[in-house]
Amino acid sequence: MTDLSRRTVLALPLGLAAASNGASAAEPRRGGTMVMIVHPEPSTLAHYAVSAGNIPPIATQVYEGLCTYDWDLNPRPNLAKSWDVAADGKTITFTLQEGVTFHNGKPFTSADVQYSFMEILKKYNPIAPVMLAELVAVDTPDPMTAVLRLANPAPYIMKALSGRDLPILCRSVFEGTDVLQNPTANKPIGTGPFKFVSWERGQSVRLDRNESYWKPGLPYLNRIVARFIPDAATRSAAMEAGEAHFAGYSAVNYADLARMKTNPVLDLTTKGYEMTPAQSVLELNGRHPQLQKKAVRQAIAYAIDRNVILRDVMFGYGLPASGPLSRKFKTAGLYTDDVRQYDVPDRLEIANRLLDAAGAPRGAGGMRFALHLEVNSFGEQWLRQAEYLKQALVAVGIDVTLRSEDTATWLRRVYTNYDYDINEPFLSQGVDPVYGLNKQFLTSQIRKGVTFVNDTFYSNPEVDRMLGEGARELDPEKRGAIYKKVQQILAEDSPMIWLIDVQYVSVFNRRLKDHTTGPLGTQQAFERAWMDK
Amino acid sequence: MILGIVVLNFFLIHLAPGDAASVLAGESGAASPEYMEQLRRKFGLDQPMATQFGVYLLNMLHLDLGYSFRNDSPVASLILDRLWPTSLLMLTAFGTALVIGTLLGLVAATGRNSWRDAVISLVSLVAYATPGFWLGLMMIVIFAIRLGWLPTSGFDTVGADNEGWDEVWDVGRHLVMPAVALSLFYLAVYARVMRASVLEQVGMDYVTTARAKGQTEARVMTGHVLRNALLPVVTMAGVQAGNLIGGSIVVETVFGWPGVGTLAFNALQSRDLNLLLGIFFVSACLVVVINLAVDLVYVCLDPRMEL
Repeated sequence: MTDLSRRTVLALPLGLAAASNGASAAEPRRGGTMVMIVHPEPSTLAHYAVSAGNIPPIATQVYEGLCTYDWDLNPRPNLAKSWDVAADGKTITFTLQEGVTFHNGKPFTSADVQYSFMEILKKYNPIAPVMLAELVAVDTPDPMTAVLRLANPAPYIMKALSGRDLPILCRSVFEGTDVLQNPTANKPIGTGPFKFVSWERGQSVRLDRNESYWKPGLPYLNRIVARFIPDAATRSAAMEAGEAHFAGYSAVNYADLARMKTNPVLDLTTKGYEMTPAQSVLELNGRHPQLQKKAVRQAIAYAIDRNVILRDVMFGYGLPASGPLSRKFKTAGLYTDDVRQYDVPDRLEIANRLLDAAGAPRGAGGMRFALHLEVNSFGEQWLRQAEYLKQALVAVGIDVTLRSEDTATWLRRVYTNYDYDINEPFLSQGVDPVYGLNKQFLTSQIRKGVTFVNDTFYSNPEVDRMLGEGARELDPEKRGAIYKKVQQILAEDSPMIWLIDVQYVSVFNRRLKDHTTGPLGTQQAFERAWMDK
Repeated sequence: MILGIVVLNFFLIHLAPGDAASVLAGESGAASPEYMEQLRRKFGLDQPMATQFGVYLLNMLHLDLGYSFRNDSPVASLILDRLWPTSLLMLTAFGTALVIGTLLGLVAATGRNSWRDAVISLVSLVAYATPGFWLGLMMIVIFAIRLGWLPTSGFDTVGADNEGWDEVWDVGRHLVMPAVALSLFYLAVYARVMRASVLEQVGMDYVTTARAKGQTEARVMTGHVLRNALLPVVTMAGVQAGNLIGGSIVVETVFGWPGVGTLAFNALQSRDLNLLLGIFFVSACLVVVINLAVDLVYVCLDPRMEL
């Protein structure tokens, strides 16, 4: 990375923003209050310790990271002016931005970086056990230099330096306190373009413009208000009535999007989720006598028409999943669709043939065997999906019973008691396959009582070995080849059925400009957003 | 009695499967084992049940409702924040339902079998049968989106910084639709109870006596019938005041009203047990207070009763 002057740094994303929004030549207007809908209301704003997806839209206005990312997902300077990765991949040296102060007036130095990484993120951040596993120490040779020392190369760290994934916190705020009980958990103090003002529980969070923000002239907005509206229909109504200007992360139901589209005041975008890959999948309990058989698992994969789910459940947003990685990893050269194809014209015949061959012939009433499907408790669309899945599987002779429970009961049944046959979770994959794939398929991740890890009991020494190699490989080409092979093996083994590469949607009021300026979309600061008259 | 409720609540709640750590991890769509262990330790979920109960009882003796780890905030302050909006909504809805319901019942009864009786009976029947959430959504579509007269949701205009009477006016505008949605069902109930009750009283001997003494019809109604006819309505109101807390959950959700109802619902969903126990405790106290108030009203209406 070369040294970039502050002006080039600022000009670059600005140009991209204009191009992406079609915001044309209009001059940004200062002032105004932007109201965004965040759903559900976060339980805390301590997003350095809790990873729920509804926290970053608020927290990243306040906390910044060392880098931001351009549309090709390359790191760009933010709190770090420049950086240098050593040839052996084991040290990353960051030169920090000068003249940055925290909202409490304290200057930002390498000591804050050191403290954030070693004392907070590495100890408490939920993604740290994977993403920061190799981090040994952070050296601070001078106040404007921070050196990350790693035990092994960890190229994926460069993807996780945003304010969303690894935020930089103020050392003096946390030092000598219990990090998890720190009062700033819900009153964040960062370096970002907006300062936290108040949180009216059940209603809204207010963030005001940081007058002494280090990027000159920014932000444009005077205020951001995050509003919490529990009812889906009312969230849509608030957008339609012009009371709110932005609803990201699919806060507006997919079912309402067609109506929003016809509203002249509103518009939609699917941009801004390039670094938020997620898939909806089926997990098959690998200890079930039928699901133990590879042929039965493959038959289930053949029996399901992903296009029906895409059309009727996701309302066309997303893509049929081809395998264990979302297409969002295509940009990084890690995705391949050169895997076993399950969406083929004669898929039902294949499914029936496989089931016959697996020793599960049709019995009374044309059924081969019966399974329970645990319905995802996070919203109505998952029930719709389960209803379709039942139909699709009954057609090949698998009798499915749906079981709906509330979130806590569902998670306990599946991940603690393993009392399930088919589960339909929704899995976010993080910024690098190291995160998503390792959790789901490493033998060591069969951990009773932990949610959303390997509960299919998948254990393949070859995959274990390759996932370990992939994590350390620095050469992008070789890394791509490793993950290609992993995807092929997994698609063949089908410990899961991959249904949909999920696509989130943002709904926004046309008065709001330059809101989606990078691949993190609503999970990065609205520093360049402005309100037109 | 309240102590009994406290103990019963604790064990009932712990019968529910699943814990706060798994829900929190579930919402993030991802979690590592280390993270889950850390959450459980922080929440005290790694302690045996007896220890958890002991800690809870000890806290309650100090009137300390505990800490909501999920919300990173003391339970008492979470509930206090929500108590005012909920009380405002409930009192408005309760008052509206009681006053208008009683009046409608009275009007219907005095004009028995006339057109106004028919209209009021029909309206109260429809109001009785309409679900609150549906009514709420329809009102939002008509008054907020189509006509733009009222705000869709919330307690006040966020970020507007209104002061004094502007703030009152602002909150009032936000209050209209949820209060109507919440009160309509009870309004219908009171109208029907009041009508039946008045009709019953009018046939009584003391009314005939009063008329024989030459009192005007209006005097008979206000001085004699009304007081007696109100008793069943007050009984009904006492019972329903408790139900209001439950009924408000749906209406609060639809209108994004920052009240105790949604707080309780969320706490249950996320197994935030300290918070849930706190809400149960406060609700139990409220119901006790309301029943005391009803008893007092009885005494005022009917001097023959004693406390």
